Amino acid sequence: MMPVLRTGLNAPLLAGVALLVAWPFVFGSSYDLRVFTLAGIFAILVLGYQFIFGHAGALALTQGTFFGLGAYVTGLLGINLGWGFGLTLPLSVLGPLLLALLVAVPVLRLEAHYFALATLGISQVMLLIAISWESLTGGANGLPGVPGVIIFGEALPRGLPLAAFVWALVALAAFASWQITRGLLGRAFTVMRENEIAAVSIGIDIWRLRLVAFLLSAGYAGVAGALYVHTVRVISPDVLEFHVMVAVITMAVVGGRTRVAGAILGAFLLVHLPEWFRFLGQFYLIAYGAILLGMIIAAPYGLIGAAERFRAQWFPEPIPLPPLPAASTRGAETLPSGPLLEVKSLAIAFGGVHALEEVSLSIERGEIFGLIGPNGSGKTTLINCITGIYAPASGGIVFGGRDITRLAPFEIARLGVARTFQNINLVDDMTALDNVAAAYAGRRWAGISPELMRARGLDLARQQAMRLLEQLDVGPLAMQPCGGLAYGLKRRVEIARALALEPRLLLLDEPAAGLNQTEQADLAVRLRKLSERGLTLLVIEHNMPFLMPLATRMACLDYGRMIAAGSPGQIRADSRVIEAYLGAPEVA
Amino acid sequence: MLQALINALALGSAYALLALGFVLIVNATRAVNFAQGDMVMAGGYVAVALAAVLPVPGVALLPGVIVLMIVLGLVFSLFAYFPLKSRPPVSVFISTIALGIIFQNTANVVFGGAPRGAPPLFSGGLLTVGGVSLSEQSAAVIVVAALLIAGQWWLFARTALGRQLRATAQDRQMAEAIGVRVNGMIAFTFGLAAALAGAAGLLLANTFFVSPTDGTNYIIKAYIAVTIGGWGSLPGAVAGALLIALFEVLYPLLPTLLPLLDRWIPATDTLFSQTMATILLYIAVLLILFFRPQGLFGEVVQRRA
Amino acid sequence: MALLKIRQLTARYGQITALEDISLEVHAGEAVALLGANGAGKSSLLNSIMGFVRPVAGAIEFDGQPLVGVSIADRCRRGIGYAPEGRRIFPGMTVKENLEVASRAARAVTAALMEEVFGIFPILRTKEHSLGWQLSGGQQQMLAIGRALMTGPRLFLLDEPSLGLSPILTTEVLDRVRAIIARGTAVLLAEQNVARALAVANRAYVLQTGRIVEAGATGALRENPRIREAFLGG
Repeated sequence: MMPVLRTGLNAPLLAGVALLVAWPFVFGSSYDLRVFTLAGIFAILVLGYQFIFGHAGALALTQGTFFGLGAYVTGLLGINLGWGFGLTLPLSVLGPLLLALLVAVPVLRLEAHYFALATLGISQVMLLIAISWESLTGGANGLPGVPGVIIFGEALPRGLPLAAFVWALVALAAFASWQITRGLLGRAFTVMRENEIAAVSIGIDIWRLRLVAFLLSAGYAGVAGALYVHTVRVISPDVLEFHVMVAVITMAVVGGRTRVAGAILGAFLLVHLPEWFRFLGQFYLIAYGAILLGMIIAAPYGLIGAAERFRAQWFPEPIPLPPLPAASTRGAETLPSGPLLEVKSLAIAFGGVHALEEVSLSIERGEIFGLIGPNGSGKTTLINCITGIYAPASGGIVFGGRDITRLAPFEIARLGVARTFQNINLVDDMTALDNVAAAYAGRRWAGISPELMRARGLDLARQQAMRLLEQLDVGPLAMQPCGGLAYGLKRRVEIARALALEPRLLLLDEPAAGLNQTEQADLAVRLRKLSERGLTLLVIEHNMPFLMPLATRMACLDYGRMIAAGSPGQIRADSRVIEAYLGAPEVA
Repeated sequence: MLQALINALALGSAYALLALGFVLIVNATRAVNFAQGDMVMAGGYVAVALAAVLPVPGVALLPGVIVLMIVLGLVFSLFAYFPLKSRPPVSVFISTIALGIIFQNTANVVFGGAPRGAPPLFSGGLLTVGGVSLSEQSAAVIVVAALLIAGQWWLFARTALGRQLRATAQDRQMAEAIGVRVNGMIAFTFGLAAALAGAAGLLLANTFFVSPTDGTNYIIKAYIAVTIGGWGSLPGAVAGALLIALFEVLYPLLPTLLPLLDRWIPATDTLFSQTMATILLYIAVLLILFFRPQGLFGEVVQRRA
Repeated sequence: MALLKIRQLTARYGQITALEDISLEVHAGEAVALLGANGAGKSSLLNSIMGFVRPVAGAIEFDGQPLVGVSIADRCRRGIGYAPEGRRIFPGMTVKENLEVASRAARAVTAALMEEVFGIFPILRTKEHSLGWQLSGGQQQMLAIGRALMTGPRLFLLDEPSLGLSPILTTEVLDRVRAIIARGTAVLLAEQNVARALAVANRAYVLQTGRIVEAGATGALRENPRIREAFLGG
């Protein structure tokens, strides 16, 4: 059964579909149909752009280029070799895919503004090639004579049949987009976009995920490009011009960056607006800019986003909590003996300041190891080294007998090292449940497995997540967006997310900070319970009254050096620890 | 040869003005102003419009262009930046794209799509220096741009206003805490960036003319200059701009300068075309981004202590 | 009359309650310490006085005037100086520029103020033309304090000056703070190093999870077992 109907989402959605179906019958002139067809083509282009711009959150300026390349492939093969739709469409997808793969290696790792520039550069190079390679492309004037769509030996006439064909493909593309992003993979995208640190901490391979989004964008753009030349029947460098890219961004921003309906609405509106605003004459494009500006200021989530927010605020619907799973799925562990974590002579410096110097420690299975030290003494730096966020200058880290010193953060997370953060890294716009469920995306990640996209994968992950939230007594809040939760509750959601990795070692960075006395006591009880179930804990704390009774062993850092280690009693009596905390009493 | 070099420097110094404005905004707001290229176009048209009213040499129009562009920059910041200042920088990127569209099409409506020329800075004739004839316009462009760059440097390094602008760029909160009115400083930065770009527009509009869609080309040049020079570095932006212009102007001339090339390489026409220069420039930028993300000239903006 | 008067102040970061029901006073010329572990709310308190954090309840008065709706820049201009945790000097500006930019006064007054700062921190004079990021941690701390003095404060908010400094440097910096107090500037000092802070201040408030749990003159607090407990656990 269609989940659209099941979730009851949606009178507005059905009305939208009905409107689209009825549209060509009401506005049936050949000109109207052509505009309607172009709207469909842009809808596919924008659906693709949503993967990299919306879901992955990267400002790629190549979507117009992928579109143009797809158009050129179909156009040139059709004109010169007379190849038909069945052959040229796959090649029009393949071309942009290959280009995307080629540039992905140097470009995808770049930071935001460099990424935008690099993609802009690529698009300009493609445009220049199209203009100057006259023998192939016809140069700036382009080439006429692109054949129409021919399927099964039948030429598809322009007008209603072509419009229907294009919009059928829009439906297909929309369904594929929805299918790809509604499951765990969609949650993984959200975490990556909103909080990269959180993403790697739950084992998500950001680079790979971004590549997937980039390739999907390129593929969709290829389809749109092919359909475009079949519709306009000429091929010219116009398709590669920057204004195509601007149009795509505008559509995505106006409609909504991550919603399927947003792409279709944005494309439909912005392709039709010039027709509707024809009375504005030459002022139309100024209005176009003003609309984009107004939207980014007034409705940053687009029309669909604004509608969803409006609906959530005024017509909230209770979302049923997912059922609990039967039992935990945890398998038996086989591990080499020896300490679980060994840190050997670790050193790291930032701008000449030694953040850590010659730090060594070893943590046995089942311990609650407390790490203390004044503000700025290097505690969080140590955790960041263990989890791979920082690369130490020297020294080594061995986890479960395996050297993890140079592994990427997501790899370390997948090996079973989970963490929480001093400043909480949850995705505020996501529910507590999905924040935890997303951790299953990272854990099960082995390429794009169908499981990640199936609704069932998400359902299962949510069930497991629900069990963890119940364990931490935040089950009733599962459907609340995390941004609105109280601090102590966020902490628990973060711990639940860490537990979703089924870790062998859990690193807690100042878990008691900002909690009141009751909450602290409660947290201590929960941590002890986790430990009793066999989980090894490394707890960083400032708050000694909290940590002393909890820890089995402790160490103290000061100015990046380990100044004491031993039982809590020994630590409390250590004169250097007292000095680090209370200061050497000055001579009065 | 000397003439080519002077032309390259003239183009480069105009690019430098543009890139400087781009960096000033990046430093003050962490956001990319994608309409910075359109500001060049706007400056060019302001010069064209002023020249229609006042038949004076270009250099006399400069103060007027600068004042009007400062006003335009202030208004620009009210729409493009301040409503979005607490949102991620990409929002500002998009809002500046939107304003760029508005600028382009306003110019198109007011001045039409055909290229227009601004008057030369002085007479537009030829200078003879040591027996070599040079375009007076190119030499004047270099001098005026150098004076403006020096003026910008003086403002930032030597005046109280400049110190407050720098403090705002380096740590906005801290600047507030020592009594600097940071919103005013940021608005002024936008005005200054627009003025520098507008001056570049006046300088370029005689030799290269101005048309409504020029902006895209200019913004890409500024973007590249700043990337090559090191993101956030003012001297780097100037150096990057000069390098780009030298490459753009001199590369297509290589076969003329080195006749030997013709013998070894076939089809020098295509290989050393203007288009090829641009393509190579982009490829060079991609390589730089890949191997030296901090820019060619090392030292990025200093980390916060 | 109190120079700074805070009544029942409550502040939150999002949902996190950072300060709850804080009331305190600082009189002109007085040195007051805020003690407490990391996360106890010391910085949040200074930040709400400076205007970085908007309180959800309660009132802050400076010099008899409520500070509600007063911008950060204007708080500084009214006489509240601030040297933040982590120092945050302007790294790309020279020592001299760091100081100059903080003065709103006429050129001659600025020069006199700078002489005064150089008098307190002679090392800064020798580094006058060094860029901020080239300074060592201790010098940066001195510069941050000097910069705050350039704004001509009657109340000086000093957040965690010992952070990341060696004990010897901490002693030196706090020594200079004593000199500033002796000039007649009121100081509100947030510090986790109890002994150090008590050696500088006349009075102190002890914060724990956003509340004031203890207050009094330094002599009495030094012997108070609750201090030790708050930091080291019972």
